Amino acid sequence: ALGFFRKFVGGKTLTKEDMDKALAGMKDHLLKKNVAQEAANDIVKNVESSLLGQKTGSFQSIDAVVRSAVEAAIKRILTPTNSLDLLREIQQKRSRGSRPYVISIVGVNGVGKSTNLSKICFFLLQNKFKVLIAACDTFRSGAVEQLRVHARNLKELSEREGGVVELYEKGYGKDAANIAKDAVDYAEKEHFDVVLIDTAGRRHNDQRLMSSLEKFAKLAAPDKIFMVGEALVGTDSVMQARNFNAAFGSQRSLDGFIISKCDTVGDMIGTLISMVFATGIPVVFLGVGQNYQDLRTLNISWAVGLLMS
Amino acid sequence: MVLADLGKRLTTAVSNLTHSNVVDEKAFDAMIKEICSALVEADVNIKLVANLRKSIKHAVNLKELGPGVNKKRLIQKTVFDELVKLVDPHNEPFKPKKGRPNIIMFVGLQGSGKTTTCTKLARYYQARGFKSCLVCADTFRAGAFDQLKQNATKAKIPYYGSYTETDPVKVSRDGVEKFKKERFDIIIVDTSGRHQQERELFAEMVQIQQAVKPDQTIMVLDASIGQAAEAQSKAFKESADFGAIIITKTDGHAAGGGAISAVAATRTPIVFIGTGEHMFDLERFAPQAFISKLLGLGDLGGLVEH
Ligand SMILES: Nc1nc2c(ncn2[C@@H]2O[C@H](COP(=O)(O)OP(=O)(O)OP(=O)(O)O)[C@@H](O)[C@H]2O)c(=O)[nH]1
Ligand SMILES: Nc1nc2c(ncn2[C@@H]2O[C@H](COP(=O)(O)OP(=O)(O)OP(=O)(O)O)[C@@H](O)[C@H]2O)c(=O)[nH]1
Ligand SMILES: [Mg+2]
Ligand SMILES: [Mg+2]
Repeated sequence: ALGFFRKFVGGKTLTKEDMDKALAGMKDHLLKKNVAQEAANDIVKNVESSLLGQKTGSFQSIDAVVRSAVEAAIKRILTPTNSLDLLREIQQKRSRGSRPYVISIVGVNGVGKSTNLSKICFFLLQNKFKVLIAACDTFRSGAVEQLRVHARNLKELSEREGGVVELYEKGYGKDAANIAKDAVDYAEKEHFDVVLIDTAGRRHNDQRLMSSLEKFAKLAAPDKIFMVGEALVGTDSVMQARNFNAAFGSQRSLDGFIISKCDTVGDMIGTLISMVFATGIPVVFLGVGQNYQDLRTLNISWAVGLLMS
Repeated sequence: MVLADLGKRLTTAVSNLTHSNVVDEKAFDAMIKEICSALVEADVNIKLVANLRKSIKHAVNLKELGPGVNKKRLIQKTVFDELVKLVDPHNEPFKPKKGRPNIIMFVGLQGSGKTTTCTKLARYYQARGFKSCLVCADTFRAGAFDQLKQNATKAKIPYYGSYTETDPVKVSRDGVEKFKKERFDIIIVDTSGRHQQERELFAEMVQIQQAVKPDQTIMVLDASIGQAAEAQSKAFKESADFGAIIITKTDGHAAGGGAISAVAATRTPIVFIGTGEHMFDLERFAPQAFISKLLGLGDLGGLVEH
C-alpha cells in the first residue's frame, strides 16, 4: 500500500531530484524513437525548467506530470506558426501574373527527392494544374530516365484527371542552375502553372556541392524550397536540416520538409522532431510509400501519439 | 570519415581517465557516461549502449581490483574489446574464387546505395582479375535499369537487364544463367529497395534468392541510419540470411553507429565501405584495425587495403 501512495505526489512542489528519474526515462524513450540526442536533451531540459517549482495536482504521479509536459513540448515543436495551403498559393500566384509557381526539391543522396517530387506532381495533376518537371539532377546515372518514366506514368494517369505534365531535360553533365532557369523561362512561355525542379543528392558536408545551391536558388528563384529528409536517418538529421537551411544564402531559407520513408520505421518517427527542432522549419508532407498516392500532410496528433506510445 | 568524431570523443574520454592521478569510481563513471553519450550521438542502438555500459562496469570492477593491477591499462583494453565486439562478429565473410561462377546478391532498404555499390564491387573484382558482370533485378524503380546500365558502361562491365519484363525473378534467373554459360567469375545481382513492413517485397526477395542461388548475399546500409537499423537488419537477416554488410555514404557527416548496430544485431561482418558517389569510392573494411584507429591506438592491422 505504501508503494501505491509513494507514486502519487498530490500537491507537491517539484524539485530537480523529484524529476530526475522520470526525465531520464523520457529522454531514453525519445532516443529509442530515433529523436536525435541534441533534440531529446533540449526537450527534456525545457520540460525540467518549466516544471521546476510547480505544484502538481492531487493524485498526479511525477511520471504522468513529466510525460504530459513532454507530450506538450513535442506538439509545440511540430505545430507550425502559419499553415501552408499550397493549392491556394499556386492559384493566387497564377491569377496575378504569368510566371509559374516554382518548387524545388533538395536533400542528401537517396532520401527520395525524385520519387516525392513525382508524388507532389500527381497531387497537382489531380487538381488539374499544368506541371513541368525539370530534370536538374545532371549527375547521378539514370536520374533523367527515372523522371522520364515518372512523367510518362503520370501523363497516363492524369489523362483521366485533367492535368497536364511534361518533362524538361537537357541530359547529363550540364550546370543544374542554368537548366533550372531555362526550364522556368520555358514554362512561363508555355503557360505552365507549376515547375517542379529535381536536384542531385548532395552530402550536407560537401562544401562545393552545397555552395552551388545558392546560385541555383538565385537563378531558379523558387517560390518554395522543400528539403526531403528520410525517416530512417539518425542523429545526422539535425545537421542535414541546418546545413541545407543555411545553403541558400542569408536572404533565403528552406520552406518546408518532406519526411520520406515514414512507412519504413514503425513508430520510430523521431526524425520529424529532430529536423523541425534544428531549424523551426515546418513539415509539409510525409512520404509513406513508393507509389504516387503515398504522400500525406502531417497529422500532429497522429505523430505525437506514435512518439509517446 | 565515418566515426571520426566518435573516435575523438572516445579517445578523450579514455585518456582523460587514464591520465588523471587517481582512478576512482567517480572518474570512472564519468568516463562511461561520456562514452555512452558519444555512442548514442553516433546512432548506436540504445539497447546496445546500455549493454556496453554494463559490460565495461562488469569487466572493470574497481573496488575488487588488487593494487598490483594496472587499472588504466585494463580500462583501455576493456573499452577497446567491447567496441571491437560491436563491429567484429567473428564470422568470416565469403571469399570468391576464380574459375567458377561466384554469385553475389545485393539487398537493402530503399535508397541505401545498392545500385551504385554493385558497380563499384564489380569493378573492384574486375581490377583483381575476376571476370565480372552485373544483373539488374530491379524491375520496380523508375530508371533502375538505366542507372545500372550507365554505371556499368562507364566501368566497362558487361550487364544484363530488361525494359519490358516486370518479373524480377525471371530477369535475375535469365541473367545469371546467361553469364554462367559465358563463364564469368563474379556475377552481381542488384535488387529493388524494400523494407520489413512490406511482406510481399520480402517474399519477392526470397524468390529471387531461390532463383539465383547466391554464394553471398550482401546487405547495403546507409551510414546515416538511426535507431531503425536494428529491426530492419534483423528482418533482412531472417528472410535473406545475408552474410556480409557494406556501409555506404561514409564520406557523409554521420558517424555510422546505426549501421554498426546492425553488425551486432545480425552477427555479420562489414566487408566494404562506400566513400563517395564515384566508381572507385570503395574500401575494404577490417574491424580490429578500424577500432584501434578510432581510439587512436595506432594502425594495428592496416585499416584500409586498396
Ligand atoms: N518505402 C518508401 N520508399 C520511398 C519513399 N520515398 C522514396 N522511396 C524510395 O527510395 C528510393 C530512392 O528514391 P529517389 O526518389 O530516387 O531518391 P533521391 O533522393 O532522388 O535519390 P538521388 O537522386 O540518388 O539522391 C527509391 O527506391 C524510392 O522508391 C517513401 O516514402 N517510402
Ligand atoms: N556520398 C555518397 N553517395 C553515395 C554513396 N553510395 C551511393 N551514393 C548515392 O546514394 C544515392 C542512392 O544510391 P542508389 O545506388 O541509387 O541506391 P539504391 O539502394 O540502389 O536505391 P533503390 O534501388 O532505390 O533502393 C545516389 O545518389 C548515389 O549516388 C557513397 O558511398 N557516398
Ligand atoms: Mg533523385
Ligand atoms: Mg537501386
